[in-house]
Amino acid sequence: MSSGYKPDILWSPHHADRYVICDTELSLYRIGPAGNSETKAGALPLSEETTATLLAINSDAPYMKCVAWYPKHEPECLLAVGQANGRVVLTSLGQSHNSKCKELVGKEFVPKHARQCNTLAWNPVDSNWLAAGLDKHRADFSVLIWDISSKFSSEAVPAEKVRLSGDVDSGLVVTKSLYELGQNDACLSLCWLPRDHQKLLLAGMHRNLAIFDLRNTSQKTFVNTKAIQGVTVDPHFQDRVASFFEGQVAIWDLRKFEKPVFTLTEQPKPLTKVAWCPTRMGLLATLTRDSNIIRLYDMQHTPMPFGDEVEPTIIERSVQPCSESIISSFAWHPSAQNRMVVVSPNRVMNDFTVFERISLAWSSTTALMWACGRHLYECAEDAGQGVAAAEKDIATKMRERAQLHYGHDTVQVWRNHVLAGGDDPHLRSLWYTLHYILHCSQYTENVEQKQQSNKQSLIYSGIKNIVKSSSGTTETRRCWSGSDRQTDVPRYHSEERSLALQLCGWIGRGPDIDVEPFLKSLEQEGEWERAAAVALFNLDIRRAIQILNKGASAEKGDLNLNVVAMALSGYTDEKNSLWREMCSSLRLQLKKPYLCIMFAFLTSEPGAYDAVLYESRVAVRDRVAFACMFLNDAQLPRYIDKLTNEMKEAGNLEGILLTGLTKDGVDLMESYVDRTGDVQTASFCMLKGSPGEVLKDPRVQCWIENYRNLLDAWRFWHKRAEFDIHRSKLDPSSKPLPQVFVSCNFCGKSISYSCSAMPHQGRGFSQYGVSGSPTKSKVTSCPGCRKPLPRCALCLMNMGTPVSSCPGTGKADEKADLTRDKKLAQFNNWFTWCHNCRHGGHAGHMLSWFRDHSECPVSACTCKCMQLDTTGNLVPSDSV
Amino acid sequence: MDLHILDHRLRVTSISKTGLEQYTHPLIKLIFLRNRTRCKFFSLTETPENYTVVLDEEGFKELQPSAHLQVEGSTWLPLNVVSNGNASSSSQAVGVTKIAKSVIAPLAEQHVSVFMLSTYQTDFILVSESGVSLPLYYVCVCVCVCSVPHATVHPVLIPENQFCVMSLDPDTLPAIATTLIDVLFYSNSPKEGASVDQDMEYIKFFSFSLIDGYVSLVMDTEAQRQFPTDLLFTSSSGELWRMVRIGGQPLGFDECGIVAQISQPLADSDISAYYISTFSFDHALVSPFFSLFDTQNILALSIS
Repeated sequence: MSSGYKPDILWSPHHADRYVICDTELSLYRIGPAGNSETKAGALPLSEETTATLLAINSDAPYMKCVAWYPKHEPECLLAVGQANGRVVLTSLGQSHNSKCKELVGKEFVPKHARQCNTLAWNPVDSNWLAAGLDKHRADFSVLIWDISSKFSSEAVPAEKVRLSGDVDSGLVVTKSLYELGQNDACLSLCWLPRDHQKLLLAGMHRNLAIFDLRNTSQKTFVNTKAIQGVTVDPHFQDRVASFFEGQVAIWDLRKFEKPVFTLTEQPKPLTKVAWCPTRMGLLATLTRDSNIIRLYDMQHTPMPFGDEVEPTIIERSVQPCSESIISSFAWHPSAQNRMVVVSPNRVMNDFTVFERISLAWSSTTALMWACGRHLYECAEDAGQGVAAAEKDIATKMRERAQLHYGHDTVQVWRNHVLAGGDDPHLRSLWYTLHYILHCSQYTENVEQKQQSNKQSLIYSGIKNIVKSSSGTTETRRCWSGSDRQTDVPRYHSEERSLALQLCGWIGRGPDIDVEPFLKSLEQEGEWERAAAVALFNLDIRRAIQILNKGASAEKGDLNLNVVAMALSGYTDEKNSLWREMCSSLRLQLKKPYLCIMFAFLTSEPGAYDAVLYESRVAVRDRVAFACMFLNDAQLPRYIDKLTNEMKEAGNLEGILLTGLTKDGVDLMESYVDRTGDVQTASFCMLKGSPGEVLKDPRVQCWIENYRNLLDAWRFWHKRAEFDIHRSKLDPSSKPLPQVFVSCNFCGKSISYSCSAMPHQGRGFSQYGVSGSPTKSKVTSCPGCRKPLPRCALCLMNMGTPVSSCPGTGKADEKADLTRDKKLAQFNNWFTWCHNCRHGGHAGHMLSWFRDHSECPVSACTCKCMQLDTTGNLVPSDSV
Repeated sequence: MDLHILDHRLRVTSISKTGLEQYTHPLIKLIFLRNRTRCKFFSLTETPENYTVVLDEEGFKELQPSAHLQVEGSTWLPLNVVSNGNASSSSQAVGVTKIAKSVIAPLAEQHVSVFMLSTYQTDFILVSESGVSLPLYYVCVCVCVCSVPHATVHPVLIPENQFCVMSLDPDTLPAIATTLIDVLFYSNSPKEGASVDQDMEYIKFFSFSLIDGYVSLVMDTEAQRQFPTDLLFTSSSGELWRMVRIGGQPLGFDECGIVAQISQPLADSDISAYYISTFSFDHALVSPFFSLFDTQNILALSIS
């Protein structure tokens, strides 16, 4: 028969280290650390850290159906056992010497009609009271409340009864109960309500949950439901009760007892146990039959006064305390957080702590915070100076760059890379490219007005398209400058090629193709190798040597450059010379890429410059310029195409030189954004594009919007506004239309638009001198009907801003803009009003009022204007 | 007091004594192998005439039709009266007596035939499906006591043996399996087939029901002795009951008012009673605290 019983588990209410397993007998265990388990014989491992030791076994009470532990300290280890025949027996474990206990142990409480005892509950305060829930009998009550201190029934027990029950020691039998409740019904579960310990009892009757008030047993509150098993009160929220029926758990609020507040998702198998976590708010654990999973329901975020409409949010998850074996029962530890012991049908026990769900939140900056149990962790990016820029998160970089006004330098475009920190070669290349593009386009705009449109778009369309359109290439064979030796290196010229060289930055704009200024600037920046290479490619070997010498002698110069210069000076165009042989083999050992390609150039056959063109450490700009000079019309587009595709694939910003600000460029930028997430650079770069196609690309719009959102999230509202202004200058289509108008109370016309908006009107407002009026009163009256404008709620003056009558004209002229900026009224004088109560006044006055108040300044208006504005209390995190 | 219509759909059948062996297999399955069938309502009552089996449609599928199996045509629905706890606890009477006035009498007045089945746990009032809609409405509004029209007065028989009503933890059912099988199927009375007469001193009557997981047993003290004492649940007072068998001829299923006829006077005198209908006859179990003589008198009084 014992096989039919599954072990249940019960924690001692007062000893945090003891629990009882009950199946056919009661076994008391003590839980301890596993450290010294070797010394203790018979210690059962519960987990990696804990073991259990069997302290006592009690097999006095057969046919055990339910057990309840006496809730008070004294007498400890007193248990009430409910039996299959409805008797309740008091028993104890390992307490042989306790006299107080002795008096009670063995006492039996017998119902009039035998039937199964389903549940037992001690009254937590009046601990003499023990409620027993029994199966139904046609003529008897199902809830009996016994007083364990009541004296034994002294009258003789009927002999028949002794015979039937087989009870010899009838002296300890109590048959008179304190209260009888629930006639002709079954009680499947019950619990005392903590709200009114002594008086209220909740019982799962046959088809309803009933609350009995012991002060008046004839009255009860009840609700019809099937969920009558396992009623249990949330220890943290005394009005919340869980009960279950088959696979479904119902959660009740005792204040609104008519129907369950909600039911949890139904499980396919019937539930066997439902228990609130005693150490954690709103955590309910449920166990279904033959399952190895305990399901947890976190009702932490349930709004406390349950609204009718509000569906409470419950987070459901499951834990698997012991990997494979089926769980027979579990019990929360009474004090250790989220800890439970589970027991399997074959009495294998497992100590288990439910890991707290981790909730995690990113801040809009890079900080990360998470909460686990009762701990809160914060993880912030190491902002120390030691952190290399490359290791910083892109968001941090973008924040820093935004603060440095990155992207806003429209005059010296190349300077933006300095604003970006100046340490990213790709950004540097990008901004120089943009710089050259804008430069050239400005130049062509000035010089060649006629062909403007054609040429203009060509400049923006990148070298790839420029070389494709190349025609009329001429080939020259120049001498090495400073020597009369003829080179066998053909060099190609065309208009487009020189445009490409301009875009590469090698030659200045204009007709001359002198690289000297470029060399000078490179020398200034200390890029000796690069300067030397550029000089060499312009066939000026002497200049190259001179540069190298200069570099060697410069401060912190590399003396090896002298050696290179020496090697260079030995150049001979003899095909089979020792110099050639050595250079072509030894150049590979050179660490500096520019030095390497110099010798590659000198040692390679004309037209076969792969060693130069595919040296990836060399800037794309220089390789492209080189190609434009030395590749013929067939080779050049092929090379450029190949390089373009490489760049696009890698998302290398240097490739913008090739693609220009075209759809190709957007493709390239897309892979760059995919790789880095740098929407900032993408936005600014694309805005620089010639007004037109690229800005309409949805990807570009997406980057721009995302960047704006990012700025908003960082509370960089001023930066965002600056960006919008910047954007509207470069892309007039993005200029937002006016969304708010102030209309006159009297004539209903907008007060901001005057003369130019309504030219047909007979009376031009200019004649009344609205904008340039010497009399201030004009400003504060409607330009339409000349009635006064509303008064400020605080200063009671009529409102009105001096230039509200000056509308922007269609053509955005930079200079006009500037002057208008100056003319704009002080923000303090602007109209402001609450959208809710429509009261308002001068912005400055309102600002200072709401610094100290949340209510509308107009007396008798109770509008909490300030609280309606969710962002009103946030402070921008960027300075103006 | 609530009247529930339970969601079982029941059939009332009878197995003749001679045909029992054909049905031992399904019966044992229905009694002991709860997990193998979806039958939720099962009652088997042995009377000297036959075995009455009341079971739901799931269980009915187990019974193969044969000449030995008689089936009552209609489907029956069980009604169950649940007190809300605030019922008067002053009255000692239990069972049929308690519901006589509130349910049985109104049903009789509406000429609804009822089939009673009392168990250890509760009383079931079975009504045939066609008759349930009207009385339910009626019962809800009518709690008044009505005089019961009864055309026929049936003779009653009061055998000598005493009966007890008991229950059992369904989990311990296997422990008494052999005894139960013995009592149910191998208890042919020594005087075989001889006397199904009026002057029976001892009547063979045994009832077993397994309804919604609750076991109820009705047997005489003779049979009770064969069972282990510690497993069966009974009342602590160990009360015993005397039987009143109603009907000289098989009663059939159409006549109404029989239960009311018996229960009304018992209710008036506050006498507790069980009432178990079978295929042929009705049986009332009355508390022995009232002398049999009293009972007889009361019944005779009311009948006359």
